[in-house]
Amino acid sequence: MAISNLFKRILLVPILLSSRLLVLGLRVSKRGSGTALPGLIVSKYFPFAFEALVNQIPNIIVITGTNGKTTTQTILNSLLSQSSEVKLLRNSAGANLLQGILSELMRQSNDFGSLDFTHAVLEVEEATLPRIAKALKPKIIAVTNLYRDQLDAYGEIDITEAYIRDGIAQSPKAIVVLNGDDPRTSRLADGLGNQTHYVSLPPEYTDSLPYEGETRNTDEIADNILRSQNIRINDDLTTSFDIQGTVDNVDVQYHNAQISSPGFFHVYNALTAVTIGKLLKIDDQKLMQGLKAFEPAFGRGELLVKTEGQKSINYRLLLIKNPASFTLNLDLLRKIPRLRLILAINDNTADSKDVSWLWDSELELLNEANIDWIFCTGVRAKDMHLRLKYAFLDPAIPISTMESIQAAIDQSFDKADDGETICVMPTYTSMLEFRKRMGLMLN
Amino acid sequence: MTLSLNLTHLYPDNLNLYGDLGNVVTLKRRCEWLGIDCQLKALNLGDAATSGQTDIYFMGGGQDNDQLAVVDDFHQLKQVAIRDDTEAGTIFLGVCGGYQLMGKTFLMGDNQETKGLGIINVKTQAPSKEVKGRCIGNLVVELPSETHAEMQSIYEQPKEIPQTLVGFENHSGQTYLGQDVAPLANTHAGFGNNHEAEYEGARYKNVFGSYMHGSMLPKNPHFADYMIWLALTRKYKDPTIKLKALPDMEEIAAHQYIVQRYGKP
Ligand SMILES: [Zn+2]
Repeated sequence: MAISNLFKRILLVPILLSSRLLVLGLRVSKRGSGTALPGLIVSKYFPFAFEALVNQIPNIIVITGTNGKTTTQTILNSLLSQSSEVKLLRNSAGANLLQGILSELMRQSNDFGSLDFTHAVLEVEEATLPRIAKALKPKIIAVTNLYRDQLDAYGEIDITEAYIRDGIAQSPKAIVVLNGDDPRTSRLADGLGNQTHYVSLPPEYTDSLPYEGETRNTDEIADNILRSQNIRINDDLTTSFDIQGTVDNVDVQYHNAQISSPGFFHVYNALTAVTIGKLLKIDDQKLMQGLKAFEPAFGRGELLVKTEGQKSINYRLLLIKNPASFTLNLDLLRKIPRLRLILAINDNTADSKDVSWLWDSELELLNEANIDWIFCTGVRAKDMHLRLKYAFLDPAIPISTMESIQAAIDQSFDKADDGETICVMPTYTSMLEFRKRMGLMLN
Repeated sequence: MTLSLNLTHLYPDNLNLYGDLGNVVTLKRRCEWLGIDCQLKALNLGDAATSGQTDIYFMGGGQDNDQLAVVDDFHQLKQVAIRDDTEAGTIFLGVCGGYQLMGKTFLMGDNQETKGLGIINVKTQAPSKEVKGRCIGNLVVELPSETHAEMQSIYEQPKEIPQTLVGFENHSGQTYLGQDVAPLANTHAGFGNNHEAEYEGARYKNVFGSYMHGSMLPKNPHFADYMIWLALTRKYKDPTIKLKALPDMEEIAAHQYIVQRYGKP
C-alpha cells in the first residue's frame, strides 16, 4: 500500500509539471487564466491524482447544501485562522466541482506534488459529493440546507437529497453536521452509522424559511446539538445571538456571539462553523474571536465604507437574487431600529431580464419596518418605485428614484450622518456596479 | 352609494409564476384608491364556481403539471359557471400560461398540445421547425384607436393615457386566434401571439388574454382601470359611470421607460 502511494506520488511530478506548462501557455497566449482546464484534463486522464493529492491533508472538511455554502466556509476559515498551527486550504465558490477542487490542489502543491496543509475546507457541489467522497475521505461533512428551487418542476431536490445521502454513506468515518430544522437535511444521516451533530434555531425563525415538510422537533435531541437563542439584528446590520448546547457531549455556552452580517440564516452558518470548530478542538476564545473577525464577502452582507473628510458612511450589501431571497431579506429589515434603504434593480441576464419577480416578492413586509427613507436605483428603478407604491400603506415615507447608481451613492452619502449604516439591496449586476463605484473591483 | 366589485383569482395555489400576483394587487389597490369596495376571492383546485358571483376573473400561468391538474378540475367544477359568466359579459383576464389555458389547446413544456379550458376560440401550438427560439423579451404594443378612445372616455376628468401597453413575454407556444376573437393590440416591439402575426393578445366579449408579464397591470394602469370600468358599468347596468382620474405618475414613468427603450420611434 505504501509503495503504491509512493508510486502515485512519483507519477504526480510529470503531471503537475505539464499542467503548469499548460497554465503558463494559456496565460501567455491570452486564452484565459487557465484555472479549470488542467483540473479537467488531469481528472479525465489521471484519475488517481486527485486522491494522491487530497489524502496528504489530514483534516478534510466538506460543506455542501443548496444555500449558504460559501458563507459557512468563510466563517469556518475565520475560526480556524485564529490558530497558528492551522494551515488552511480552501477552494473558491466557483470551483466546487471535481475539476475546480483538483485545479486548486494542483496549484497549491509544490513541484514534487506535496501539499503542506493541516486542513482543507472544501465547498462541494451537491451532485459532486458522491463522485468524490470515497477519494476525499472527509473527516467532517456539513450540510447547510436543501431548498427547492422556485422553478423545480422535475423534483430535482429529491435527486439532490439522494446525492448527498450517497456521499455520506460512502464516508462511514465522517462526522456529519446537519441543519436540524430542515426536514430534508436533518434526515440525511438516518439509518447510517455516522456520528451526527445538529444545529437549530427557535421556531419563530424557521417558520419563514422555505423548508419542506414537517419541521423536525429538535427539542427531543438532547446531545450533539447547538441551538441559538435571543437573536438580535443591530442598527449597524450585524447580528448578535447566544449559543447553547453540546458538542461531543461537552457543554457549549456562549453569550453575545456576533457576526458581521444581518440575517438569522447566517446564524445557521455560524452554528455549523462553531460545531466544526469544536469538533476540531479549537478553543472557545478563538472561536468567538473568529466569529467576530468574519467578514462577509461579495454582497452577502458585505460592508463597504465611504469616507470623505470627517464623515464615514457604512453601506451593507445584501444581494437579492430571486423573490425568495428578497422576501427573506425584507423580513429581516423589519427588525432594524432605523432603516435607510437603497434598492438597486438592473435587468441584465444575471439579474433576470423580466422584472416580474419584484411583484412576487413581499415588499408589503416593509410596512412593519421603521423607515427613514428609500432610494430606488438601477435601470429598473422606476419598476421598483412602482412596486413600492402598491405595497405601501403610508404615503408619507420618502421614496426617491434615480437610475444612476453613482447618484444614489452620492445623494445617500449626503443624506446620512457620520457613522450611520445604509442597507443596500442590489441585484447581481447592480451590486457589481455599486462595488465598482465604491472603488472595488471584481474579486 | 359605494360601488363594489368581486374579484376572483383562479387557482392562485397552482398558477402563480412570474408576477401574476402583481395583477391582482393592482386591481385591488386601484379599486381602493378609486373608492370602490373590492372583495378578493380565490378559487383553487376542488372549489366549485357559481355563476353570477364574480365581476372580474384573473388567471395566471403555472408549471406543466399544475396546468394539467387545473384543466381537469376546471372541466369538473368550474366550466359551466364561468362559461355562463363570460358569455354574459363578465370580465376575465388570463396572462401567459393563463391565456394559453383559456383556449382550445395549450402547449406543455415538451411541446405537447393539450386540451385547454375552451373559454375562448384560440389555439396554441408548438413553434414550427423554422422558428426555433422562444418568444422572449420586452413587448410594446399599440391598442386600436377605438379601444384607446373608449379607455379615455371612462374618467370623470380628462386624462391623458398612453395608447401603448408594455410588458415582458416569455413563451414558446404560438397562439392563433379563431373566429369571433379580436387581437388585443398590434405589436411594436417583441412578438406577441406568434412569430408570424404582428399582434398580441386576444379579446372576446370582455374576456382578455395577453402574453404580458411585467407584471402586466401595474405598468398599464389605463388597462386596469378599463377592466374595472367594464365591470362596474356591467354590474350596475349604467354606462354613464365614470372613474376618478388617478395621478399615476409612477405607473406612467415605468410604462414610458419601456416605450422609450424598446418601442418604435
Ligand atoms: Zn410566460
